[in-house]
Amino acid sequence: MSLSILSALSEDLLVRVYECLDPPCRKTWRLVSKEFHRVDSLSRTSIRILRVEFLHTLLSKYPNISTLDLSVCPKLDDDVVSRLALDDTVSTSRLKSLNLSRATAVRARGLETLARLCHALERVDVSHCWGFGDREAAALSVAAGIRELKMDKCLSLSDVGLARIVLGCSNLNKISLKWCMEISDLGIDLLCKKCKDLTSLDVSYLKITNDSIRSIALLPKLEVLDMVSCPLIDDDGLQYLENGSPSLQEIDVTRCDRVTLSSLVSIIRGHPELQHLKASHCVSEISVSFLQNIKALKHLKTLWIDGARVSDSSLLTLTSSCRALTDIGVSRCVDVSDIGMMGLARNCSNLKALNLACCGFVTDAAISAVTQSCLNLESLQLESCHLITEKGLQSLGCYSKRLQELDLTDCDGVNDRGLEYISKCSNLLRLKLGLCANISDKGVFHIGSKCSKLLELDLYRCAGFGDDGLAALSRGCKSLNRLILSYCGELTDTGVEQIRQLEHLSHLELRGLKNITGAGLAAIARGCKKLVYLDLKLCENIDDSGFWALAYFSRNLRQINLCNCSVSDTALCMLMSNLSRVQDVDLVHLNRVTVEGFEFALRACCNRLKKLKLLAPLRFLLSSELLEVLHARGCRIRWD
Amino acid sequence: METEDDLCQNNWGNSSSSKLREPVCFTSQHKWEDASILDYEMGMEEEPALQVFDHMKASSGQEHNNNNNGGQVNVDFLQGVRAQAWDPRTMLSNLSFMEEKIHELQDLVHLIVGGGRQDQQQQQHITTDLTSIIIQLISTAGSLLPSVKHNMSTAPGSALFPYPREANNLASQTLNNNSNNNLAQDFDLPKPTIVQERESHVVEEHEMKDEDDVEEGENLPPGSYEILQLEKEEILAPHTHFCTICGKGFKRDANLRMHMRGHGDEYKTPAALAKPNKEAVPGSEPTLIKRYSCPFPGCKRNKDHKKFQPLKTILCVKNHYKRTHCDKSFTCSRCHTKKFSVIADLKTHEKHCGKNKWLCSCGTTFSRKDKLFGHITLFQGHTPAIPLEESKPSAQRGSSACENNTGMVGFNLGSANQESPQPGFMDGKMSFEESFSPLCFDTCNFGGFHEFPRPMFDDSESSFQMLISSACGFSPRNGGGGSVSNTSL
Repeated sequence: MSLSILSALSEDLLVRVYECLDPPCRKTWRLVSKEFHRVDSLSRTSIRILRVEFLHTLLSKYPNISTLDLSVCPKLDDDVVSRLALDDTVSTSRLKSLNLSRATAVRARGLETLARLCHALERVDVSHCWGFGDREAAALSVAAGIRELKMDKCLSLSDVGLARIVLGCSNLNKISLKWCMEISDLGIDLLCKKCKDLTSLDVSYLKITNDSIRSIALLPKLEVLDMVSCPLIDDDGLQYLENGSPSLQEIDVTRCDRVTLSSLVSIIRGHPELQHLKASHCVSEISVSFLQNIKALKHLKTLWIDGARVSDSSLLTLTSSCRALTDIGVSRCVDVSDIGMMGLARNCSNLKALNLACCGFVTDAAISAVTQSCLNLESLQLESCHLITEKGLQSLGCYSKRLQELDLTDCDGVNDRGLEYISKCSNLLRLKLGLCANISDKGVFHIGSKCSKLLELDLYRCAGFGDDGLAALSRGCKSLNRLILSYCGELTDTGVEQIRQLEHLSHLELRGLKNITGAGLAAIARGCKKLVYLDLKLCENIDDSGFWALAYFSRNLRQINLCNCSVSDTALCMLMSNLSRVQDVDLVHLNRVTVEGFEFALRACCNRLKKLKLLAPLRFLLSSELLEVLHARGCRIRWD
Repeated sequence: METEDDLCQNNWGNSSSSKLREPVCFTSQHKWEDASILDYEMGMEEEPALQVFDHMKASSGQEHNNNNNGGQVNVDFLQGVRAQAWDPRTMLSNLSFMEEKIHELQDLVHLIVGGGRQDQQQQQHITTDLTSIIIQLISTAGSLLPSVKHNMSTAPGSALFPYPREANNLASQTLNNNSNNNLAQDFDLPKPTIVQERESHVVEEHEMKDEDDVEEGENLPPGSYEILQLEKEEILAPHTHFCTICGKGFKRDANLRMHMRGHGDEYKTPAALAKPNKEAVPGSEPTLIKRYSCPFPGCKRNKDHKKFQPLKTILCVKNHYKRTHCDKSFTCSRCHTKKFSVIADLKTHEKHCGKNKWLCSCGTTFSRKDKLFGHITLFQGHTPAIPLEESKPSAQRGSSACENNTGMVGFNLGSANQESPQPGFMDGKMSFEESFSPLCFDTCNFGGFHEFPRPMFDDSESSFQMLISSACGFSPRNGGGGSVSNTSL
């Protein structure tokens, strides 16, 4: 491309071109010329910061950032934030979305600074900040414009903190309070009274009672209500929803133990516009009244009734009345058999996702029927369907060209021939073959050669395949970013070394591979620069050379499991100090590491650790100041 | 004002102790005697009639004083007149009363005719007097109709007058103990002071806040109960029962009787030891329900208040008076901020002091989370404060402190100083300690969130300050205190 052509393009044309590119291409784009780089820096709106050192430069380089993701940024703390506030070159006024998930070291002071700094803030994610409590909530409530707030697993957040947020940010549209175990009815009640614009509410796993549901039912605009596993809510509570929350479109009552079908019927009666009904593992049976009432739901798209006793005839009635269904979950519905499935296939030709896990009576015939009539099928879960054989997979390969996700975990009938058929689903992105003992190199070879788009592959305990199969996978599935090879006992260094070809690999599980040594790990470390998660538990034969290589090359490693590894003091110290992004480590049963080794290693990384698993006796052997520092930085230690 | 002293003498001369035991009996007797020594001599068999005449006295006396509370008095009077039974003798007395009144009227008219220059106020007085006398005339004339007959229990105003007053000091008490009722006449006085007192109430009525406990949903129709009013000194007296021999004081009558046993065998008889009020009025009229009035003028518990709510027992009177109209002299030894006037309240508070961990941004503490949440739901701009937050800007504390308890502070001072209008406190800056002190109603049975009578006056302003300093979680969108400020108790 000659320079003249490029210079002929005006800046706004360049911006238009730039907008058509996907993120990896944009990376290349900005290397073309200064002009291109300028376009990139002006047009970029979202950024994910991997290292806190670059936070300032990146933010000042990209003035139009509206989405900032700090969730994987280690060492982010209050001081960093306050320095950010002092930096004039950084403009945060356009920032609308802020992801602080797992930013446990940012506490009230930092949050308040951030909230003041970003005037336009609308979305905030502080999920999994386990130390996040009322004070942090109060700090966050300064940002009055927040509309979406995710606070999952903010374990110390109580009603008081929630009240601060509710009163500070009364424009809240969406809030997720999953696992905020301190929240009670009072908090929910206040939320519902003050934030009338709420459209989405997640109160899963909370110990709230029917009173909360009564308050929730008064929300006029509520569309999505998630209340997974609320053990104290029963039918009396759900009755309130029959005449409440008129715009409800989606409700999830999965694993609400006390909820029965009768209250679901009343919800259905009150909300003919309902689109998603998720009632897995809470209803035991499908009654006639349920079937009659669900007919009224003409727009129902999702129906999850996993774990219920659904006879074939009721499944037929169900699907014949709700033909718009695209997502059906009937896992663990042990009564479901081929007849029901065939009827379902006939009725719901728009089906995109089907979960048949643990439906033991489903055979190839059902799969054939489904695949033949539901050509849009994208996701199929067949875990533990033992009657499924290569025949079923054959029709799957023939018809389901759009299949993206297939779960065949623990299906005894899957063999090499079956994998050959599956490999015809060329759009497959996620494939789970865990516990399929009958597959060998041959079958894996087919997958490796045809499924080039594969992103995730689970071969957990597939003891039948070895190095050759892995080599084929590594050659063929270049875009793999998640690979699970745990307990594939045949694998040796030769095979594992091939993994180095998978440049995009970020998540690798090599648990229990006794045959691999330092050489294999070194090869992986050299090749897979993007590795973020590595599980080496019970890889007893990896020596220090492997860990040295890991320490040297895998600078992006965020989470590592070294349990039962024969790592030495020095190697551990090296690992922990060199891996500057490591945040989550499991260090249980390291026989060769002394207490001093632990002390030094942890001191080296204590300012970035967020999660740590150690043997319980170490609690009293490690220095108390180390533990204090870890605690102060928001690191959570699990004593095993 | 001379009311205090006047009232002391002016009361109906009952000893408090006797009153407590047999108020109806005694008061009625006194009324008899009162009635008999009235200017308008009338023989009356029925009790209500007495009250009528007491009232007549009141209204006639009023005229001498040139007091202008005629309207209200006359209404009562009217009711009183209706209350009496038709009786030729009553009729006669009524007629003589009317005669008297006509003379008064004549005098007044003469005054108007020949008075010459009078200032406006005087003229006004005369006019009101005129009106009142004419109304009295009309109503008395109406009562002459033989068909008008009411019985006592249904007469709407029968119990309103006279308000039996209790002796307020030791002297009268002992006197009365010795000589049961003859002395009562000595205390009988011309009535005008009553009227005067009432007048002053009317004036002050509007300034008073009904800060009192709304303890009961009791809805006794006015007149279906008898109203007793103790005097301030008696309410505050540590002892109400005194030994006639050695003068020792007791809080309870039973204790006095136990004590009396030591003075001789005659006090050890079962009769002397028995509870006296049961057999004291054998065969007398069925006792009226007794309710109590607070002697504090303008108080909602005062009988002259428009929305008078009587107090149920003597204890209620004492607690009410101390809580509402007295200084809070007992300070909590733990927090050193909360003050109480009733020692029982202090004890109750001390039990829970320090446990009030639920704190609102306005500085108010709650012992229960749901109460706090109810509070913040009710008041816009209030947020729960996070305890032990050392970095709280002091500006918030200060302003919230003065915001929070204004009502309470006002009430506090209001009891000491009637003239101060409540809103005056709103802009006063309170210290942080003060903001806590008024919150001392742990023992009171407040329903809902009555602890916060009128905290919202300056709310908009303070939240605006918050917005500027953006120091705390005060919501900038707060719909103005106006809508909330009229939330009364």
